Amino acid sequence: MSLANEPGTTSAAVQAVNLVKVYQTGGLPVHAVRGVDLRVDRGEFVAIMGPSGSGKSTLVHMLGGLDSRTSGEIWVDGKRADTLNESGWAILRRQKIGFVFQFFNLVANMTVADNVELPALLGGSSPRHARERREYLLGELGLVDKADASPAQLSGGEQQRVALARALANQPQVLLADEPTGNLDSRNTKDVLRLLGQVHRQGQTIVMVTHDARVAGLADRVVTLLDGMIVDDGAIAPPRRRTKPGAGDVVELRG
Amino acid sequence: MRNEPFRVTTEERRLKAPSHRANGESAIGRVSAINTAERRWIKADLLARRGQAVLTVLAVAGIVGALITAATLLEDGTNPWRGLFTRGNGAHVWIHTKDAPDPATLKALDGVTDVAGPYRSAPATLVQDGKKTPVALQEMPAALPAVGRPIVREGGWLDPDVPAGVVVERSFAKALGLRPGASFPAIGLNGADHALTVVGLAESGDQGFYPEWTPGLAWTLSTTLRQVEPALGRSEAVTGLRLADPDATSLIVQRTITALAGQVQRATTWREVQASMELDNRLLGVMLALFGVAGLVAAALAIANAVGGRVLAQQRDIATLKSLGFTRRQVVRMLVIEHGSLGLAGIALGVLCGRLITAYTLAETVVVPLSSAPLVAITFGAVLMVLVAVWLPAWSGGRTPPIPAAPSAPPRGHLSRMARVALLVRLPPALVLGARDAFTRRLPALLTTFGLAIPMMMITIGLGCWATLDAFRSHPEQVGQAAALTVRPGNLTSDAANRLVLGNPDVVASYPGTEVDTVVPGQTRTVRTRALGTVADPYPFSVVEGRMFRERGEAVAGQGLLDLLNVRIGDRTRLTIGGTPLIVQIVGRVLEPEQDGEVLSVALDSLAPKDALPPQFFGVVLRQGADPAVVHARLQSQGLEVTQAVNLADRLSVIRVIIVLLVVVLALLGLATMLTASALGLRDHALDLAVLKAMGLTPRQVMATLVTGTGLLVVLGVGAGALAGAAVSSGLIDLQGAASGIGAGIGRAPGAATLLVAVLAAVGAALLVALIPARKAARARVPVTPR
Repeated sequence: MSLANEPGTTSAAVQAVNLVKVYQTGGLPVHAVRGVDLRVDRGEFVAIMGPSGSGKSTLVHMLGGLDSRTSGEIWVDGKRADTLNESGWAILRRQKIGFVFQFFNLVANMTVADNVELPALLGGSSPRHARERREYLLGELGLVDKADASPAQLSGGEQQRVALARALANQPQVLLADEPTGNLDSRNTKDVLRLLGQVHRQGQTIVMVTHDARVAGLADRVVTLLDGMIVDDGAIAPPRRRTKPGAGDVVELRG
Repeated sequence: MRNEPFRVTTEERRLKAPSHRANGESAIGRVSAINTAERRWIKADLLARRGQAVLTVLAVAGIVGALITAATLLEDGTNPWRGLFTRGNGAHVWIHTKDAPDPATLKALDGVTDVAGPYRSAPATLVQDGKKTPVALQEMPAALPAVGRPIVREGGWLDPDVPAGVVVERSFAKALGLRPGASFPAIGLNGADHALTVVGLAESGDQGFYPEWTPGLAWTLSTTLRQVEPALGRSEAVTGLRLADPDATSLIVQRTITALAGQVQRATTWREVQASMELDNRLLGVMLALFGVAGLVAAALAIANAVGGRVLAQQRDIATLKSLGFTRRQVVRMLVIEHGSLGLAGIALGVLCGRLITAYTLAETVVVPLSSAPLVAITFGAVLMVLVAVWLPAWSGGRTPPIPAAPSAPPRGHLSRMARVALLVRLPPALVLGARDAFTRRLPALLTTFGLAIPMMMITIGLGCWATLDAFRSHPEQVGQAAALTVRPGNLTSDAANRLVLGNPDVVASYPGTEVDTVVPGQTRTVRTRALGTVADPYPFSVVEGRMFRERGEAVAGQGLLDLLNVRIGDRTRLTIGGTPLIVQIVGRVLEPEQDGEVLSVALDSLAPKDALPPQFFGVVLRQGADPAVVHARLQSQGLEVTQAVNLADRLSVIRVIIVLLVVVLALLGLATMLTASALGLRDHALDLAVLKAMGLTPRQVMATLVTGTGLLVVLGVGAGALAGAAVSSGLIDLQGAASGIGAGIGRAPGAATLLVAVLAAVGAALLVALIPARKAARARVPVTPR
C-alpha cells in the first residue's frame, strides 16, 4: 500500500481499509464483504459493479453508515468514522453524505418540496435558506411545477430526480448512489445519468453501485466486486467529458 | 461557474458549518429543542392520516369522558349532599335560637360571608289516615332566598295566592306518600286543626333525609305559619350562615355562640348533614375503580396497537429519514410527539366532554361536576397510560435500521407440517393460508389478540355484574333480604300486630326482631346488632360460610364486622350489646347488605330481656310472587307502620348505566384494534395477493384468506377474553363484595346464553370489519410494486 493510501494522510473523500462484513443469518456466517480497501478521492466518480450478491450494496451502505462493519476502518473526509455510534453516523450523514436509492425512497407523506427541504432543515438551516436551496435545486432539475405534488403523483424518473435533489440539498462531501437507475426505463435512466454527470463535473464526489456496464461507463473509475472482494479496479474512458481541470482529475490506479 | 446548478461554494460551506455543528449537538441531546425538520415531518404525517388521527382522539376522549361521567354519577349517587348544597347555595351552619338574632351581627362575624334568615320555625303534627307524624314548619319567603334555597323537584314553590300551601321536603313526603296537590290537616301545639295543601316537593342540603333526620321538614309562608302557631313563644328562629372556609365551621360556631350570648339552643353543621346523607356504597366505588382501570388498560392496548401498526407501516419512511441523518432519538421523539399529542388532545377533549355531559345532559340527575381529586386521578392516569402506550412502539420504531431497502414485509416462513397435513386432507386452502398469515408477525398478532381479549373479558365481567344485580332482584333472600317488609306495631301491641300480619294471605312468615347499638372493643363507634327470629325459629339468614346459630350466645356476622373485629368464624368475642356485656361466638358469615356489612345478627332470645321484649319490629317474608307494594298498602291501612326493604339492586342501579357505557366504549376499543389489525394484514399481504391470484385462487378465496388471517385472531381473542371473563367474574365480584363489607358469595357468572350471544356479536362485528377491506382488496387489480 502506497503512502497515498494511508488513511487520513491526504484528503480522500471516503476511504475503506480492510473492510469486512459478516452477516449472521440463521447461525451461519455469510461473508458479504471480505477485506475491501477502497479510496475515493475528492471529485472522483467511482462506479462499483458486480453480480448480484457480490456485496456492492453492503459496501456502499457501510460507507454511509447505514450498515455496521464487522471489522476494518472507514474514513470520511479525513476523519475516522467507523467508530462512530448510530447517532454520530446520523449527524455525519446529514452533513457530508447524500444517498440515492434504487426505489427513490421519498417520504410518502411529504410533498416534493418538503422532501427536498428536509435535509437542509435537519442540518439546521433556516426555513428561508432551505426554501431557497430547494427552489434552486428543483429549478435546475426541471421540477419547479411539481413542488407541491406528493411523490406518488410523480413518474419513476421524476421521483429519482427529486431523490437526487434531496441528496444534494446539504451539498454533501460524497454522494452514494445505490442502483439509482435500477428501477427506471432507458429514457429516465439517461436523464438521471445526465444529471449525475453534470453534478460530477462541478466537483461532486460520487460512488455509484450498478450492475449495468453502460451506466458504469459514465464513471471515471470502475471497481468490480466478486464475492465480497475487489477483483478489478481501473479508470475507464478518456477524460474528454471533463471541461476543466479540478480535483476530479486525480485518477489513480490501485497499486 | 455561476450557472452551475449544484456548485458548492466555499463560502456557503463556511457559512453553514457552524449551524451543522450546533444541530449535531442538539441531536446528541445537549439541547433538546425540536428541530424544524421534525416538526415538518410530524405535520405532514398528521395531515396524511387525518381520519386515523381523529379516530384516536375520539377513542381516547370517549374513554376519558365515560370515566368522568361514571365517576360523577358515582360521586353524586353516594354523596347527594354535595350537589344539593352547591345548587341550593346552602348555609354551612344553621343556628336555632329562641328569638330572631340580628342578621347584621352574624354577618359581621369574621369568616361569615352571608346569612340566611332568620326564619321562624314551629313544631306541628301532621295527621294522615289517623297516623300522627311530627313535622317542623319553617317559614320561607315566596321569592327564593340567595342562601339556603330549597330545590323544587316537583310542583312549584310557595305562592302568596295559595295561603294554605306548603312545600314538603321530598324524602319526608316520599315516606308519608304525599304528592303535590294532596291535603292534610296539621295540628298546632294549641290543638287547632289547619288544612294545608302540598304545592310542591323540594330537596335541601340543609338537613338530612327523613327518617334518618327527624322531624320532617315543610316550608310555609310566614302568614300560614302564624295561623298554625300563633304563639311566638312556642317557635324558634333558624338562621343559616354561609362561611368563607368550610373547614372553619367549629370555630365559627363557637364565635356565634359567644356573640349571641347564650341565646343559641343548638346548631347543626354541614358535616352532620353530609354524614347523614352519605350512602354505604363502597361496593359501587370498588366496581367503578375496576372498570376504570380496565378501561384504561384496554385503551392503552388499543393505542399501542394503533401506534405500533402505524410505525410498522412507516418502517420504510423511518428508514429513509434515518438515512438522511435523523438520529434514533429524533425518530423516537417525533413519534412520541405525534402520537402522544393526539392522545393528550383526546384526554383534554374527554375531560371537556365529561364536564359538558355532566353539566348539560345530566343536569337533572347530577348537579355539580366531579370534584377535583378523582378528576386529577383520572386525567393523570390517562396521561400516564397514553405516554407509556405511545412510547413503547415509538421506541421500537427508533430501532428501525436505516437501510430503506430492508424488507418491511413480514418474516417469511415455510408451511408448517400441520399446514401441509391440513392441505393434504383437503381443508380449504384459503383457511390454511389465512391461518398461517395470522401468525407471521408474532408481536402484532399478540397485541391484536390481547387488544380484543381484554375488552371482551371486561364486557364479560360487566355481564357478570349485571347477572349479579339480576340475582339480587330475583332472589333477595340470597343476599340476606328475605324479609320484603318490616312492620312496626305502631299503636298496637306486638302480639296484635303479629296476628294482623300473619292474617294476611300473602305472608309466609313473620320474625320478631330488634336492633340495638353495640359497643365493640377497641372501637370508638358503635355497630348494629340485629336480633331477628329465635333460636327455635331463626330468620332465614343467607349463611355463606360456617353455619347458622343454633344456641343462645351464638351469632352470625357480615364480612364488614369480621374485618372490623379482626376475628374469624368460630372465635368468641366480648361485646356490649345494648348496655349488657355478652360473650358471643361467631359461628357463621352471612351476606350483609346493610351498614357496609358491619352488623352482628343473633337470635332474639340471645339478648337480655330488657332489650328483646317487646320486639321493635317484625321481619315479614312474603309468598313467592306476591307484590310487596300491595301487602305494604294493605298492612299500612290496618294501622301498622310498614317499610319496604330497598333491594340491593336498586341501590346499585347506577352500575347498570356504567356497565352499558363501558360496554360501548370497550366495543369501540375492540373496533379500533380490529381496524389496525386489518389494515396491517392487508399491507403485509399486498404482495402475496398478486401471487395468490397468479396461483389461481379466485377473488373469493383471496378474500377468505385475508379474512381468515384476521378472523382467527379475533376468534382467539374474543374466545379467550370471554372464557377468562367468565372464569374470573364471579370471583372478582366476590372480591369486591368482600372489600365492600357485604361479603364474598354474591358473585354470579353471566348466563351461558348471554355469553354466547355476546361472543357471537363480537366475532360477527369483527369479521364484518375485516370483510369490507378484504373484499375491496381481493377485487382490486394488484400492482406488483416494491411498496
